Formats: sequence, structure tokens, C-alpha cells
Amino acid sequence: MAIAVPHPPGGHIDTHSDHIHPAPRTFIGKYIFSLDAKVIGVQYMIAGLLFFCISGLLAEVVRIQLMRPEGGFVSNDTYNGVYTLHASGMIWMTIIPLVTGGFGNYVMPLMIGARDVAFPWLNLVSFWIFPPAGLMLFGSFLIGAPDAGWTEYPPVSVQGPPGTSLWCAAIFLIGISSTMTGLNFMVTIMKMRAPGMTFTRMPLFVWAQLATALLNMVATVALSAALAALFMERQFGVPFYDPGRGGSPILWQHMFWFYSHPAVYIMILPAFGFISEILPTFARKPIFGYKMIAFSSIAIALLGFTVWAHHMFTSGMAPWMQLPFMILTMIIAVPTGLKVFGWTATLWGGKIEYHPAMLFALGFIVVFTLGGVTGIFLSSVPVDLHWHGTYAVVAHIHYVLFGGSIFGVFAAVYYWWPKITGRMMSNKLGVLHFWLTFVSFNATFLPMHWLGLMGMPRRVAQYSDTTPLLINQFTIVNQFISISSFVLAASTLVLLYNMAHSLIAGKKAPPNPWNARTLEWQISSPPPYYNFKKIPAVLKNPYEFGEPLPYLGLDPSDKDDHHPSPTDHPTPAHA
Amino acid sequence: MAVSSLNSTHEAVHARYQEVDSLYRETRDIRLLGFVLFLVSDVVLFSMFIFAYLYLRNSVPNWPPINKDGVQLPRFDLAFACINSCVLFGSGATMHFAMESWKHLKKADFNLWMIATIVLGVMFLGGQAYEYNHVPLTWAGSTMGGSFFTLTGMHGFHVFIGVIYLITLFIQANRGVYTGSKYFGLTAGTLYWHFVDVIWVALFYLFYLL
Amino acid sequence: MAQVAAPRSQGLGPGFWPVTIVMTVVNIILGIYIATFDINKYLPEAAAPAGDIDLLFKFMAAIGNAIFLYVTVYVVYFAIVWRRRPSDAPDAIGIQIHDAPTLELWWTIIPSVLVIIIAIFSVKIWMNLQNASGDVLTMEAIGHQFKFEFRYPNLKSSVYDEMHVPVDTPVTVQVTSSDVIHSFWVPEVRLKYDMVPGLVQSVRFTPNRIGKYRVICTEFCGTNHANMFATMYIDSPQDFNRWIAAQAKLQASSGGAVALQGGTAAAGQTLFANKCSSCHSVGPFEQKIVGPGLGKLLSDTTHPNLVTGEKPNAVDISHVLIKGYQGPDDSQGKNGPSLGAMPNRDANGLSNSDIANLVAYLTSLSQSK
Repeated sequence: MAIAVPHPPGGHIDTHSDHIHPAPRTFIGKYIFSLDAKVIGVQYMIAGLLFFCISGLLAEVVRIQLMRPEGGFVSNDTYNGVYTLHASGMIWMTIIPLVTGGFGNYVMPLMIGARDVAFPWLNLVSFWIFPPAGLMLFGSFLIGAPDAGWTEYPPVSVQGPPGTSLWCAAIFLIGISSTMTGLNFMVTIMKMRAPGMTFTRMPLFVWAQLATALLNMVATVALSAALAALFMERQFGVPFYDPGRGGSPILWQHMFWFYSHPAVYIMILPAFGFISEILPTFARKPIFGYKMIAFSSIAIALLGFTVWAHHMFTSGMAPWMQLPFMILTMIIAVPTGLKVFGWTATLWGGKIEYHPAMLFALGFIVVFTLGGVTGIFLSSVPVDLHWHGTYAVVAHIHYVLFGGSIFGVFAAVYYWWPKITGRMMSNKLGVLHFWLTFVSFNATFLPMHWLGLMGMPRRVAQYSDTTPLLINQFTIVNQFISISSFVLAASTLVLLYNMAHSLIAGKKAPPNPWNARTLEWQISSPPPYYNFKKIPAVLKNPYEFGEPLPYLGLDPSDKDDHHPSPTDHPTPAHA
Repeated sequence: MAVSSLNSTHEAVHARYQEVDSLYRETRDIRLLGFVLFLVSDVVLFSMFIFAYLYLRNSVPNWPPINKDGVQLPRFDLAFACINSCVLFGSGATMHFAMESWKHLKKADFNLWMIATIVLGVMFLGGQAYEYNHVPLTWAGSTMGGSFFTLTGMHGFHVFIGVIYLITLFIQANRGVYTGSKYFGLTAGTLYWHFVDVIWVALFYLFYLL
Repeated sequence: MAQVAAPRSQGLGPGFWPVTIVMTVVNIILGIYIATFDINKYLPEAAAPAGDIDLLFKFMAAIGNAIFLYVTVYVVYFAIVWRRRPSDAPDAIGIQIHDAPTLELWWTIIPSVLVIIIAIFSVKIWMNLQNASGDVLTMEAIGHQFKFEFRYPNLKSSVYDEMHVPVDTPVTVQVTSSDVIHSFWVPEVRLKYDMVPGLVQSVRFTPNRIGKYRVICTEFCGTNHANMFATMYIDSPQDFNRWIAAQAKLQASSGGAVALQGGTAAAGQTLFANKCSSCHSVGPFEQKIVGPGLGKLLSDTTHPNLVTGEKPNAVDISHVLIKGYQGPDDSQGKNGPSLGAMPNRDANGLSNSDIANLVAYLTSLSQSK
């Protein structure tokens, strides 16, 4: 079967994609207000890492408080603000920016053979909304932090501290940033793939970003509406949620969860994409079931819009509504399970290297599966009536978000670090980081299932045992969890040290240290601002190890060590 | 103006649209998709508030709702809203004619139709201001007022931005930024203005007729 | 497992079938262990439908556990058996297999069937919940910041912090809230329903195990959410009737005016320290804990009225002590945000002489200095 080569051999077309813009000249143009998606991606990663550390420290405040049943480390109001900002910061200022704005911006255009995203100016604005929104969010501590959890249910959130309004504004802003990024990525992936890269020749990372971009673009707007309404009610008294004036608290829950359920897929689908790239590379064989994994990403994204009210089984919505949401949520388990089986089968028959990225990918599969299984419990209404609002839900959340998204981010860091920075990280430290994290993570969150099932609700600044059988047991378990969490927090220091040391004294990275096959590895580490001198044509998907690379027309000098200078301007494709 | 054919039949219009260099064609494709997706996300925004309105409406036995003094609020007055709606829909028609004129290289007609569109848009905004003053509701006084002012306010804001956008396009077109074959800005403006019209169809139905 | 597309060498790998067989056996054993596990011993099932819910939970646990174990063991096993060996060439690659249609078909069908079974079982238990009987005793539970209020059909006034239900009697608890969203959860009953202002949900269950249980608020409701509890007693029918009768007697005796002569400030001071000081200080009005400071209750010109709107005289003060205060939450008002309702005399356990003593004490505070 002839493989289609869309460009006439030896010919070229002066297209939008081929066109190389002049190099940025000033320091500000290169590093601060850069239009280059790679620079913007790094900016997202730095800001995301900062907010990760802040949100993580807030979690440690929670764990210190919970070492004693009577609490006492901070006041109740402070405590409530701490966990609210921990969750809000992790979800909106850490995970979503890192997996979409960070890795999406850096890697996706490279993988599709593009020079940048479709709307670089929009990309720049998207990023520069992010740090101010984050500062606004955490700055709410100064005026009375929002205290009703990241879900901020009215009426308690309407009465809440002044910081709740700031929370509305901050999340509204980051929502605009997310929506624009989603739009940008959708157009980029639909319109700017290299010649020959049909949808089924796209790397799975790109499939994941496409599904995520769809969610980002459509669902985030729903959150903006809910936040705007809450803000209007708080500041101007407009009745949306106040039952005394014709409003409905359940309306908030519908509007909020209609976004927030797709949001969890925004957080996990890119991580699925990371895993789908890392496993084949370090097992030296194709991903098992490429089409299944690609299409299930889209299926999960679409189905994800239909299940939001499984967060509302106890809420007082009409009882008959529980049934369809329960069934649809159970259905989503199937495409997710197919991915897990596909990844597991990818390992079979491989030549597996225990690189830190691979270890985190393996850990991801194990831990995310557990989180997914607890999700099945939560999808069943009778069982959820017991689990809802307890530490069992906290356990589920952290298994899928930390064990899923964050493990995925860690894996991605170890994988793409050489490409981004041009330096190698220490494998030994990476392996240490993995084991410390994996063990302390499970020690921290596994016991929370038991706590919740035995009667410990969430969002509590104090706790006590519920039955005579359990005297002191809640305390001991909470203390065990807290100490494990300290180890988990400390394990991040290993990663930070590894990153710092690599930047200062790490070995220089070759273009393709892992012998991977996607396009970003066929150019220098780091790539020049224009990515490719000549956009290649793509003949196959990138998972056929042992065959030659399926790209035509790559300029071999793209692999040369490249330190772009302001006067640098390569020969345009059409010259 | 482009030095393409002076023939203004439909085929000539189509030919001018196709005979652009591939760099422009790709740029136009990308921008069109981006703009359409932007409008999709804007539709989601309105849809969420429309959902909220319908939900609140459905959760009380009486609509219009009964205010805190025990009196039922009155229904909206249909007559003025019909007139104002015709103004807005009329501006949609004039926008269409403006676009067609441009495509057929009739610049003078384009200018007239654009001015008509802008004037009608401003008239609509004036009409909304009048309606806001005369409707016996306040923003915070009831869910009826809350949803009405929020949704029509969002819509009015979109119309306001649209008017500014159209004025900008008018100036750009007369400065020669667009040609007979390259006029993406005008296409986007037309799409936006029709979007604003379609939203108003929904809002008019939901508040004045339902 | 069904057949796999023939790989080039080695069959399915060294030890694949032993590992699979061992895991299957382990899963069966664990499944039996889960099925026979007595949840009742750890978290008692104190009402129908707790038994149903636990059965569903165990069923899902057995399946979920099997899925998790298969995935985890295979991942670890493959990672070990298919690792790169030092003797491998640097460009060695794995077995280039993309698909195995039959395998994929089975691993789609089997989980889908499992999901369908779980769904059917869940729907069945869900229907049981919808059809649960409950109308022999109907009572109300109203959430406040930060107390549970309970109302019984044959009791004139509400009871706070404590609810009783008779065993083996279908009960309906109609839950709602007076302010923000709370949630009504008794872990031993397994049912949880949000208490939402403006609507009423019915919690229907038949208690079947006499004992003392905790009602836990499971929806964040403000500063003291963590301390919002009530106690639920499942009584024998006789004990239940006895309790209702005792409540009725207490409420009847608080209907009339309380004789206020003979109250002593010293006794009142002790009572204040025990009963009132967690919410009220004896400082000026502004020194609020939950409620305002009461040091100048009868002599504060900037706050000339009691919270009920009456003048601060002894009789009206005694009315507040008798009835408590659950008025509108004054969170935007000049009294500042209130943090909770004030319990009535029953909830505080105040006898007539207690009330007289407290009034005497409060009067003496305002008169001193």
C-alpha cells in the first residue's frame, strides 16, 4: 500500500505552518512576553510548580492540625480557609495549568510538527492571566480566606468571608485563561498538523490534549457563569441561590458540577497522554491498542459531560435523577478500564528500562486503578449515601488526582526535562524520589478510606471517635497519616534538588536520550525557537520501534546544538 | 480593491474567495475555526444562565413570582420589546447586505449598509435602556429581575462590544485593509453580529413569550 | 484468558500462567473472605437498609479488589519479567505487537458485564431505598449552625442534640435546614441526606439495633461544622414512650411564667460558667464568643433591646432563657454575624430555680461597677 506523501517530492508550499517569524530580539521578548509556545510552556511550569509548593504546604497545615482530635494548631476559620485554598490552588493553579498550559504548550506543537500554536498572542495573554489569578487566590488570606471548600456551596458561601468574592474573581480569571488555551489547542491540533499526519498518525499525547482542549473550551465557561452568579449574589444581592428569595442552593450545585466533573477529566486526560508516550519509549514497543486508547479519550471527554450529578446524590435533587447519573457514571468506567488494560499489555513483551519516568508511569497505573475502583463505589447511589462527604471521598480524590495527575506530571518531568532544559537529571535521585513518593503516598491516603467509612466527615478542624470500639483509633490513624504526609512533602525536595542540580551542573542532553520516536526528539535539546527548519511529512504513527523513523524531510542540522541569538534567522523553507 | 474580475456574479465572488495565496488561505481557515469556537464557548455561557433562569422559574409554583409583599410581579410588556427586537433583527439584515455588497465589490453600498447596521445597533441599545427604566423590576429584588437583568445585560454588553467592533471594521474597510478577496475581519464581524441576533431570539422568547 | 495473536517467541512469557493461576486463586479466596466479612462487627448495621447497602458494598469490593489485584500484579510481574537485561543489545526492542483483537474483545466484554451486574444490583438496592417503609413515626430534623433540632408529632416544642427512635418501627425523618446546607448522617444507618434550606428530604429507615449512635453533620456549614453532632438513641418501644412522656412533662412545665424571686446571683454565677460561658462572656456587648457579652445586659444604652426586641427586664430575660433564640441569622446586621442558635431551657437543662438564679446573676452584673 503506497503511503501518501502530501507534498510533491522535493517541492514545498509556503504555508502558514512553514512560515518562520523573525527571532525575538529583546530579553523581554525572549523570556517575559514571549510568543513562543515553548517559553510560555516553561513559564506555566515554573508558576505551576510554585503554586504546587504553596498548596502542598497548606496541606501540611491541615495534617498538623489533624494530629490531635481537638485540633488547636490554627483556629477553625483559618483551618477552613487552609483546606479551601489547598484544593483550589492544587486544582486551578497547579494541575490544570501544568498539564495543559505547561506540557501542552511545550510538547504538543513539537509533536505535530508545528512551529507554534494557532494563536500565539492569545497564548501569551492566557499565561499572563495565570500568576495574578494565583496571587489573588492566595492573597485572600489577607482579607479572610474563603472557607467552604473548593466547592463553596451556598448559602454558606454567600455568607462567607470577604475572601470568597476574591476567590470567585480569581477562579473566573483562570477560567478565561483555560478557555482560551483550550480554544487555541483545538485549532492548533485540527489545523496545524504536519503534512501526512492524519488523526490516526497522531501521537496519543496529542489525542489526549485534543480531548482535554474540547473540555477546557466548553466546560470552563460553565464555571465562569456559576462564579459570576455567586459573586453577583454576594456583592449585589442578586437572588440566584438564596431559598428565602426564590433562589435555589441546588442550582449552584448543578452549575458548578457541570464544569467540575469535566474538570477532573481535564486534569487526568493529559496525564493519560503522558503515560501513553512514556510506556512505549521505555518498553521499546508500540502502545497496545492505539485506536482504542485514542478513541476512548474522546469518549471519556464526551461522556464526562453527562455525569455531573453523581456529586449530588445526597443533595435533594429529584430522586429519579439519581438513576441515569448512576448508570452513566458506571459506563465511563469501561473506556477508562480499556486504557488501563492497554497500558498493562504494552508492558508485556517489552524491554523495560527502570527510568524514573517509567517508574512513575508504572506507579500511576497501579495507583490510578485503585482510585478508579473507589470511583465505582461512589457511582453506586446506595453506597455513595454512606461514602459522600467523608474521608473516603478525600481518599478517592487524592488517589486519582495525586496518584493520577501528579504522578503523571512527575513522569512527564523526568521524561521531557532533557528536551526542555538541555540537561540530564540524575536517575538515582529520580528513583529515590519515586520510591519515597510511592510508599509515603499510599501510607498517607490508603488509611483515609477506613477513616471515612468508619465515620469521619471531611472538612473538619476537629474530630472524635464515633463508637466505643474506636476510642483513640481515629487519633492514631490520623497521626500515622500526618507523619506519612510529612515524608511525602519531603520527598518533593528530592525532585527540587535534582532539578536545581541538573540546571547548574547536569550533563548536556543529546537530542534523543531515550531513543524515542515522536517528533520533538528529532531536534536539538532544547529546540530552537522555530522548532523545525523544515516541517517534515509524516508517514506513520510513531510507535513502530525497529523501523526507520516515519518522517520525510527533516533537516539533519535541526539536531545540532542550537543557541539562538537575536540575529539568528534560518533559511526559510521557501527560499 | 483587488484587481480581480470586475464581474460581480456569484461565481466571481466565489472565485475571488478561492483564489488567494495558500498562506492567507491557511491563516483564514485557522482564524475562522478559532472564531467559531469562540462563539461556541459564548453560547455555552449564555446557555448556563438560561438554564439557571429556567431552573429558578421551574422551582416556584407561580411565574411571574410573588414578591415579598405578597404581590405577584407583572408579566413583561410585549409591544415595546417587539419593536426593539425588529430593530435588532433589521440590523442583522443590513449586516448581511453589507457583507454581500462588499463581496460584490460595491463599496459605496457596503458603507451605507454598515452605517445602517451600526445605527440600528445603537438604537437597540437605546431601546434596552428605555426598557430597563420602565420595567417594574430590580436586579436584586426577585429572581425574575435577577435573571432578566443578568441575561439581557450580558446580551446588551455583547451588542455594545459588537457596535464598537463594527465601527472598527468600517474604518478598517475604508482604509483599504480588506480587499475583494481577503476580508476575514468582515466575515468574523458578520458572524458575531448574527450570533448576537440569535441569542436575542432566544432571550426574547424566554422572557417575553414564555 | 483467550488466545492472543501469536508473538514471535517465548509464548506468553516465563511464569505467566503460574502467576495468573495463583492470582485467580488468591482473588477467589479474597472474594470469599470479603463475602463472609462481617461489617457489622466493626460498624454495626443499626437499621434496614444498612444490611442491603453493606451487601452491595461487599459485592463491589470483591469485584473491585479482583480488578485492582489483576492490574497491579500484572504490572509488577511484567515490569520484572520483561525488563531489559544487561546482556541485551543497546538497540534491542520489545515484541512489536499492536493489537490482539480477541483479547481486547474479551477484556471489553468481561468488564462491561461486570459493570452491568453492578448496575443491576445497585438499581435493585436503590429501588429498595425508594420503597422503604417509614411512615409509622414521622419526625423532623432541622439543621442549624451548629445544632440539630428535632421535632416530634406529639411534642409541643423541639428537642435539641438528642433524638430517640423506637426499634423495629419504620421511621421517616424529614430533614431540612433553617440556614445553610447541613447533612444528616448516622454511619450505622448508612443513609445520608443533605439538609437544604427551602426543601425537605425524607430519610426512611427501620431501626433494628438498640443503642446509642451519633448523628454527624457531613456538609460544611460554617466555623463550627466539625462540632455539629447529635445523639440518636434507638430505644425499645417502652423506653421510647418513656422518653417522649418525660419530654412532654418538661415542656409543659416551662409554659408558664417562672417565679423569679429567690434567685441568688452566686448560684447564677456557677450556672453561667457551666452553661453559658461557651457562647457568652461577661464583658461588654462587643466581646462576643458566639453570642454577645452579657455584662451590661440591662444597662447598655447602645444596645437597648434584647435580641427578641423586648426591653431587658427580668421577665423578658427569663423568656429568652426559656425559649432560646432561633431568629433570623443576623449576619449582615449591626449585631454582627451570629454563629448559632441559642438553645432553649430543655436543651440547656434549666430548671425553674436555675432560671431565677441566672436572671439574678445577670441583673447583678449590670448593676456592678
